Amino acid sequence: MELIVARNIHKRYQMGEVTVHALRGVDFTLYDRELVVVLGHSGSGKSTLVNIVGGMDLASEGELYFKDRPLHNAGEAELTGYRRDQVGFIFQFYNLMPNLTAYENVHLSVQIAKDPLDIDALLEQVGLIDRREHFPSQLSGGEQQRVAIARALAKNPQLLLCDEPTGSLDLPTGKQILKLLRDFCDQYNKAVVIITHNTNISYMADRVIYLKDGLVEEIKENPEPLPPEKVSW
Amino acid sequence: MLWKKMIRDIWGNKGSYLACLVLVIIGLLIFTSFSIAGDNLSLSQEDFYREQNFAHGFAEITSMPYRELERLSEVEGIEQISGRVKKQARVTRPEGEVGVYLELVSMDLEDPERVNDVRLLEGSELRAGEFEVWIDDQFFDTYRLEQGYRLEIIAGGRARELIVEGVAMSPEFTYPLRTEGEIYPNPEQYGIAFISRDAMWSLFPELQGRVNNVVFTLVHGADFDQVKNRLEPELEPYGLINLYPREDQTSHLILSEEVAQLQRMSTVIPIMFLSVAGLILYIMLKRLVEQQRGQIGILKAFGYSNREVTLHYLAYALTVGFIGGLLGGLAGIYLANPLTWLLLEFFHVPETYEGFSLYYLLLGLIISLAIFLVAGYQGCKYALRLKPAEAMRPPAPISGKKTVLEKIGLFSAMLTIQGKMAVRNLGRNRSRSAFLFLGMTLSCAVVIVTWSLNDIIDKLVFYQYEEVEVHDARITLTEPLSPDPVTIELTGHDEVTMVEPLAEVPVKLSHAWREENVLVLGIPEGSSLYVIRDAAGRRVPTPERGVILSERLADKLHVSPGSTLELESPYLRNGEEPVLVDVCRVIPQYLGMNAYMEITGLIDLLDQGSFATSFMVNVDGTSGPDDPGGDSRTISIASLRDRYRESEQVAAVDGLEERVREARELMETFGVVIYIYVLFGMVMAFSIIYSSSFIILSERNRELASMKVLGMTSREVFSVITFEQWFISVFAILAGLPLAQMMMMAFARELSTDLYTLPAELSAQALLMGAIITIASISIAQQFALRKVRKLDLVEVLKTRE
Ligand SMILES: Nc1ncnc2c1ncn2[C@@H]1O[C@H](COP(=O)(O)OP(=O)(O)OP(=O)(O)O)[C@@H](O)[C@H]1O
Ligand SMILES: [Mg+2]
Repeated sequence: MELIVARNIHKRYQMGEVTVHALRGVDFTLYDRELVVVLGHSGSGKSTLVNIVGGMDLASEGELYFKDRPLHNAGEAELTGYRRDQVGFIFQFYNLMPNLTAYENVHLSVQIAKDPLDIDALLEQVGLIDRREHFPSQLSGGEQQRVAIARALAKNPQLLLCDEPTGSLDLPTGKQILKLLRDFCDQYNKAVVIITHNTNISYMADRVIYLKDGLVEEIKENPEPLPPEKVSW
Repeated sequence: MLWKKMIRDIWGNKGSYLACLVLVIIGLLIFTSFSIAGDNLSLSQEDFYREQNFAHGFAEITSMPYRELERLSEVEGIEQISGRVKKQARVTRPEGEVGVYLELVSMDLEDPERVNDVRLLEGSELRAGEFEVWIDDQFFDTYRLEQGYRLEIIAGGRARELIVEGVAMSPEFTYPLRTEGEIYPNPEQYGIAFISRDAMWSLFPELQGRVNNVVFTLVHGADFDQVKNRLEPELEPYGLINLYPREDQTSHLILSEEVAQLQRMSTVIPIMFLSVAGLILYIMLKRLVEQQRGQIGILKAFGYSNREVTLHYLAYALTVGFIGGLLGGLAGIYLANPLTWLLLEFFHVPETYEGFSLYYLLLGLIISLAIFLVAGYQGCKYALRLKPAEAMRPPAPISGKKTVLEKIGLFSAMLTIQGKMAVRNLGRNRSRSAFLFLGMTLSCAVVIVTWSLNDIIDKLVFYQYEEVEVHDARITLTEPLSPDPVTIELTGHDEVTMVEPLAEVPVKLSHAWREENVLVLGIPEGSSLYVIRDAAGRRVPTPERGVILSERLADKLHVSPGSTLELESPYLRNGEEPVLVDVCRVIPQYLGMNAYMEITGLIDLLDQGSFATSFMVNVDGTSGPDDPGGDSRTISIASLRDRYRESEQVAAVDGLEERVREARELMETFGVVIYIYVLFGMVMAFSIIYSSSFIILSERNRELASMKVLGMTSREVFSVITFEQWFISVFAILAGLPLAQMMMMAFARELSTDLYTLPAELSAQALLMGAIITIASISIAQQFALRKVRKLDLVEVLKTRE
């Protein structure tokens, strides 16, 4: 089923006299139950695109639908509702609340969810059940990222958007994270989008979207995606 | 370049800097305008006193031959002495709605060095022996008199005509009050007329060749009390009623009090506002420096010196201090003269000084710059210590910690996750939480205190007239009369429903070396027209023997129930010998300062035949909801007044309801001033909450943005901040109540005089209003800050690591 349909998305940033054209007419479709990797060089517009898809930002031009619901002319309240109910975000920098414990950080998102998952089960799954009372400053980067994933998943979103989730992690930790994302996609039948400039990660995707200079260069199906454990860089 | 950076930084956070600026402006505005107006008033007062040769001592006597003055001028310590005849007379033309009275004051035209000389503002000289008068300016203006106007009065029981020759002012009547019970001048009912001594003697033949009032100046360095001791025996044979220094003269007392109060307020209020502004700035700069540590590292790495970097951040503070100081100071100068005029509306002092004082502007600027220099330096000294390399490293990560509060199981169970964040944030920055707490406590207390001024003024006036003096009118006699025949006559009138006599006796009460001149009121036992009440408002019976004192009087004499006082009075039959009287009770009295006795007990004590000096009456007339204005009673009182228009024995007929009505009108003017102060309190609370929200927003924008990304609404995200603020504010408001009580007690102590005593109690209504207004200011400030959360740019904030 089509989850996201993007048609001719443009994004322009006005910087005084200069206009930066970050996206110049992007078209793509995102289906449920698939793991998509968006690949591109730094500055190609990956983050810009995902931010628009996630309802954090508005496109300058073009159309965007979530399950046939138009989002390109949504207001602030509607976008907030969309983020709240449908989207989970994961960033390179984990952005946890420094003064909430692991458990409380996850609880923060459960609190606003309509159909949340069980917090302890999630912490169990990300392997942090015995760290549930720890504050972010007492956790390593990888552990923090796992809390961030648990927090994003806990809302039980339709769509999980990850902007360089392994960007500041080493290889084994990065692989753990990728496995969690793959598992979420398979177990719960949700769509996952991973942004990266690391070509190796794209081997685990069902589909890869190549972005270049604000345009979709190519979309490639991966008939036999690699399990995350086999990915290496 | 750095200037540009500064302007951008300030612009980016303009709301908080503006809040800070507003506080500085208010502080400096009050400082300059109050200081200048205070100076204007006090210099005008001094000038006026010097030029009119204002007396240092005043004596009221029954009467004394005029020639005695010569001898009295020889008393050691006296420089000049003047004797006058002072008498009140009822005016029949122009006629006011209620009784109109003139204070007739004689002038010795032959004496070129008159004490308490009168300043002629407009008109021509008086001629000795002619019925020509100068009238005080307010009475003159109120009745739109002109030179040549023929005033008609009843003097000594006879109708007379006085010709207005001029408008005049005297330092003795800068704040003219007709009777003890009044607290503000009322030119519609009371004016001053200055007349030649000879003419005065023709008006009152019984005083021919005599005076009943003596005023004198002291030689430089003489002590009033010593002169008083020498003068007293000289005056006692002539029925000395009262001998008092300039400090106790009503007009002088009130005018000086006003000047002193202006000066007090011109320092206290600005200090309050400037400290809050300084604290806000300190916290903002501290935050700015922490936030810009990377930039500071780069600047230092470039080779900027510590001094240049510090100066750069200090410039933020000094810019606010300077702009605020200048704007506030200029506005203050601009407002100083209107304020002076306003004050001169209340006081009859010719305006001699109209200040345009750069002195206070400069002083204000220096004070404001100094405060901001200290606040700024404290805020940015951290930048000094940073080594370039260290500065460029990100600050140590914030470590979360559970708070002690959460150990209380129930409390933590009640908290939402946002609540937990907020409670932990409180501990994260203790000094800021403390500032927020203190600031809110202060604002709340300011609002409560100003609000209760409403109640206090109310109590001051209405308690006396509605709870204590519960009669409709008071008939004052020119001389004491036996009560029974008068009571019978008064009861005989149709409009009069009840009559009771009152004996008002001037006495000197002394205890050890302390003494006070007051009026003892002799009240009939079980009186229903004059009800003495204790602190709880319960009726207190008048004792057969012994005297009841007002709290202030008891305090001044250092006595309590059971003490024995010595009482002297010109009304004592055996003259000089003082008699002893026991204090049997002390009661609150807000207006005036009196002693009370049962009327026959008082007369026995004086060893006199029964007498009364005035009569309290109730008149016919409905009152209550059908007749709120009490019109029918006013008519009854007017008809009573008509009956005694020509009477030689009746000095005045006063309707009490009139007084209450006039007091109410005055109250409305006060109301405006009170609302302005309440507004100041609100501005303070608003600025504190607004800037605190701003600081928290900039400090935690990453956390807040993450919460928005999770899909929380702006309001839900902001609740973390508001929870923190409310949590502190609830305790701050609670702490504001005792602080307000303390401020109120200080106020009451400072401002009470013999004319009125301010009750130091806070009404429940004031407390409630204080809390409500503080809460409202907080909510309004939060609404403004919420807009910032709405505009938070998620993409921007989350793009980089902090
Ligand atoms: N707020 C902004 N104002 C101006 N230009 C911007 C803004 N945000 C992004 N850009 C520009 O848009 C383009 C795309 O940026 P974007 O962040 O989407 O790239 P990216 O593919 O995510 O790169 P990276 O891999 O480095 O994160 C860049 O050229 C960038 O300079
Ligand atoms: Mg990016």
